[in-house]
Amino acid sequence: MNRSIRALYLTLAVGFAVLVVMLGYWQVVAAGELDERADNPYRLEQQRLVDRGRIISADKIILAESVAYREKGKKYYRRYYPQGSLAAQVVGYATPQQGATGLEQQYNRYLAGSYGTGAILDRLRQETKDGADIRLTLDTRVQKTAEALLSGRRGAVVAIEPKTGKVLALASSPAFDLNEVSSDFASIRKQDGAPLLNRSTGGLYPPGSTFKVVTATAALDNGKWSASSTFDDKGVYVVDGKPIYNSGKAKYGLHNLTDALTFSINTTFAQIGDQLGGRKLGREMNRFGFARPTEIDLPSGEVAVSGRYRAGKILPNDQRDEDSARIAIGQENLQVTPLQMAMVAGAVANGGRMMRPYLMRRAITRDGVVVKQQRPEEIDSVASAYVASEVGRMMQNVVSEGTGTEAGLSGLSVAGKTGTAETGDPERNQAWFIGYAPAEDPQVAVAVVIEDTSGTGGTDAAPVAGEVMRTALSIDPVPGEPTT
Amino acid sequence: MSLRSRELGFLVPALLLGMLGLAAGASARADELQAGPWQTALGVAMVFVVMHAVLRLRAPLSDPYLVPILAALTGIGLAMLYRIDPGLAGDQAIWVTLGGIAFCAVIVFMPDHRVLERYRYVIGLTAVLLLVATMVFGTEVNGSRLWISIGGGQRVQLGELAKVLMVIFLAGYLREKREVLAIPTQRKFGLNLPALRHLAPILVFWGAALAAVVVLNDFGTALLFFGVFLAMLYLATGRALYVGLGIGLFVAGSLFIWATVPRIGVRVDSWLHPFDDVQGTGYQMVQSLYALADGGVVGPGFGRALLVTEGGNPRIPALETDFIFSAVSNDLGYVGAIGVMLLYVLLMARGFAIATAARDGFSKLLAGGLTAVVGLQAFIIIGGVVRLVPLTGVTLPFMSYGGSSVVVNFGIAALLLVISNRSRQGLVEAVRGAPAT
Repeated sequence: MNRSIRALYLTLAVGFAVLVVMLGYWQVVAAGELDERADNPYRLEQQRLVDRGRIISADKIILAESVAYREKGKKYYRRYYPQGSLAAQVVGYATPQQGATGLEQQYNRYLAGSYGTGAILDRLRQETKDGADIRLTLDTRVQKTAEALLSGRRGAVVAIEPKTGKVLALASSPAFDLNEVSSDFASIRKQDGAPLLNRSTGGLYPPGSTFKVVTATAALDNGKWSASSTFDDKGVYVVDGKPIYNSGKAKYGLHNLTDALTFSINTTFAQIGDQLGGRKLGREMNRFGFARPTEIDLPSGEVAVSGRYRAGKILPNDQRDEDSARIAIGQENLQVTPLQMAMVAGAVANGGRMMRPYLMRRAITRDGVVVKQQRPEEIDSVASAYVASEVGRMMQNVVSEGTGTEAGLSGLSVAGKTGTAETGDPERNQAWFIGYAPAEDPQVAVAVVIEDTSGTGGTDAAPVAGEVMRTALSIDPVPGEPTT
Repeated sequence: MSLRSRELGFLVPALLLGMLGLAAGASARADELQAGPWQTALGVAMVFVVMHAVLRLRAPLSDPYLVPILAALTGIGLAMLYRIDPGLAGDQAIWVTLGGIAFCAVIVFMPDHRVLERYRYVIGLTAVLLLVATMVFGTEVNGSRLWISIGGGQRVQLGELAKVLMVIFLAGYLREKREVLAIPTQRKFGLNLPALRHLAPILVFWGAALAAVVVLNDFGTALLFFGVFLAMLYLATGRALYVGLGIGLFVAGSLFIWATVPRIGVRVDSWLHPFDDVQGTGYQMVQSLYALADGGVVGPGFGRALLVTEGGNPRIPALETDFIFSAVSNDLGYVGAIGVMLLYVLLMARGFAIATAARDGFSKLLAGGLTAVVGLQAFIIIGGVVRLVPLTGVTLPFMSYGGSSVVVNFGIAALLLVISNRSRQGLVEAVRGAPAT
């Protein structure tokens, strides 16, 4: 029987060895993933014990920091946002009750100090690591200008550096005070206008005529048209038995493509879209990143996908049977985010090369060790440098003599395109402006949306864009230590 | 060095481990250095010292490692219970004292375990009666019907006692039948099988185990009973075929029940996909996995993990019983949890060594069966915690909160030591009695 006894013992011992392996999976291999799960109560409880890193803007203003306090003899940390509501949706919050959003969620591993292999070593040494600071590309001077211009209205402003993809401002109005999240979350949620929504990345709007920049790029790319191709406008263009009119039923007669963009002539762009067809227009949209999650360093749930929607679902860009004439002028259930349109303007500004937008420049420990550095990265080439410069030239005309003159800056050349998406209620237009400046050496690209206005892109959005670009062009680097 | 002195040598550090654990838990709770509940700690230590003394007097040749292993497991268990809720540790100390009394009673009043063989059928019948009584008069706790109320708000788990009685019965029964079971007399379905009348008990046991799943609503107990039965059948006959056949039948039966009994279906689903319903059926499992993940490699130490909310409620339901191992893994990390598992493997090593050293079939089967019961039980509940097998409601021997479990497991240890003492005594006598050559 002793042989059986030994065999039984070995069987059970092997069983325990399997337990050891399984336990190792949960405690070591899968632990990091489990720790990061949003519904893990430990994660946020632990956060109270961690001296979370600060979130600091490009101009060295502290947007978020941790404040120590004692409770029952134990040292805890509480999050404090010195700037209150400034860039609230971008910075986000981190509380045990409401979870985390925005950059607080996106860069939790750096902020909470759980990055790199050092985290395991620290666990072994039983040390709690201080979180690393997050240095942003976002500049509070641009952000403040944008928010001030939006105040009292609903809308969004995006400002990026076209050559690098650095995000200078992401404003969304209405906003909320981040310090009230832990005390008064219910009333923030109930407020009108959904202040928690980051409209600049998560708000979906019909692009209206700003989409003509995409159509114009597709047209020039196709080779069949140039900036001086001529068209004859009769005031109406009929597709599928239904007429497409110009804004205000205007009739422009003989004109060229530059004029068409300058005065936002619907019939001409509808005709181009019709002749290009769904496949070719769709290919251009693919290159511009439509129907694809936008690559920005924010939680994916806060960034909406731009493109054509049907029954709440995004559709592929290139379908043969679609109404490419109406897509060409920004209709047909096109829904886009301000960020996406800023990237369209940015790609044109940057010679057709679209850069990945990013908010975090680097994560850096308090001892000055850089643990993560983000560098400019090209996503895609949306058009040749020649096509991009031609589209840019046409966009300059929009601001110098067309619908976008309100965005003009004295002494500087600005390129842009307006848009006014009508909702049927004349008091509730969605006013758009996308553009960049200076045209010869672009330093900033913007997208502006003003919701529910009786004005147009030219009257309401263009002046905001001009002011934001002026601020962005005037900022200098700030030396010294971060301050509140 | 005598066996008992060696025992004492290991017992002292084992007891110190538990005391330090209690003090560490108390210090973590108060955020300053504290001695902890030293009265409780000393009381429990005294129980073990008395057990040691009784062994010195009545079973001096018994295995010297079992009691220190018990002391280490009990001590860690007490420390974990204390950090969950000091009141639980106080209760548990009383159960440990009762367990110590049961231990000493077995050692003192049953110097020769072989008397049990004579009463095997009475004992087997008692085991069945206890289970039936539980099925009929049992109170449901957490959906499982395993307890009987004995007044004063106290409940007894008769299944724990039935478990030991069943092993004693099986040891007697299988020793009697092992020859006929080991020799195949017929060939059916391409397998060499013994006569049906000898095989019948296996089928009856299989049916009873599955019935227990449904009636007691307790997969763990059924798995434990059936597993021990198979283990002992294997020990008796040496035929792996029975084990394979038994496992096959059990799995087939379980699959059938899973498909037909919706309540158990839900349980299995929450085992396979706990993250599908984190706030509902998967809650307990997922919270436990979070605790494991939080523990990491070394864990923060006794009482320092966030196992209990500020309100004093455990984060994981049934933390002090079914999930005590999650508490260990969280506080002491992977390293500490492996340590505890090694203690169980050591315990099995000693138990099976006692079985190997025993000099008659009944003793071997009894020692092997008792060891298998403890080892399997630990495996099933830890396996449930790490999601290797479906989660069940069996206790972690010597560590989980609960009187019946503690008392019965101390009894098992005492029986093993009696067997061990007996076989060595026989050896000594045999050597003394051998004619000088």
